[in-house]
Amino acid sequence: MAKAAALRKPKKKVNPLDKDGITYIDYKDTALLRKFISDRGKIRARRVTGVTSQQQRQIARAVKNAREMALLPYTATAR
Amino acid sequence: MRHYELMVILDPSLEERTVAPSLDQYLNVIRTAGGSVEKLDVWGRRRLSFEINKKAEGIYAVVDLQATPEAVAELDRQLRLNESILRTKVIRPETR
Repeated sequence: MAKAAALRKPKKKVNPLDKDGITYIDYKDTALLRKFISDRGKIRARRVTGVTSQQQRQIARAVKNAREMALLPYTATAR
Repeated sequence: MRHYELMVILDPSLEERTVAPSLDQYLNVIRTAGGSVEKLDVWGRRRLSFEINKKAEGIYAVVDLQATPEAVAELDRQLRLNESILRTKVIRPETR
């Protein structure tokens, strides 16, 4: 059982940005950025989001810019 | 000349109609310095995701402009002096 789980190939993630053809991540687009933050307001890891490392950096910067302008929360109390 | 994008959050107690003209006054700094203002977009009242200066709302405005770095720095300095402006952000969209 444990061996079978170790051998299981991880499912290949589709890149959500390439799928929608997004090339520029705008800090004003909060609807898009909200997909990349948890309900606590934290930026999701790349292994979760499935984007490239360059895109992840752009997302991180956009989220931080959006936070400065109070478009996104720094923290949110989960429910 | 560079392309800049400026976002400002204004005091929600301001009259929304007066926002565009008063911002335009500030933008004369850009025009006299030889720059141009491409777009002035007032988003209107929007809820802040956290309080700024005890205010839960703010009036957002976004300006697209072509200007020299010095002119933009001066504009940003003047905006920050105004107490009814809660926050400003200058961004160059091309540098990513």
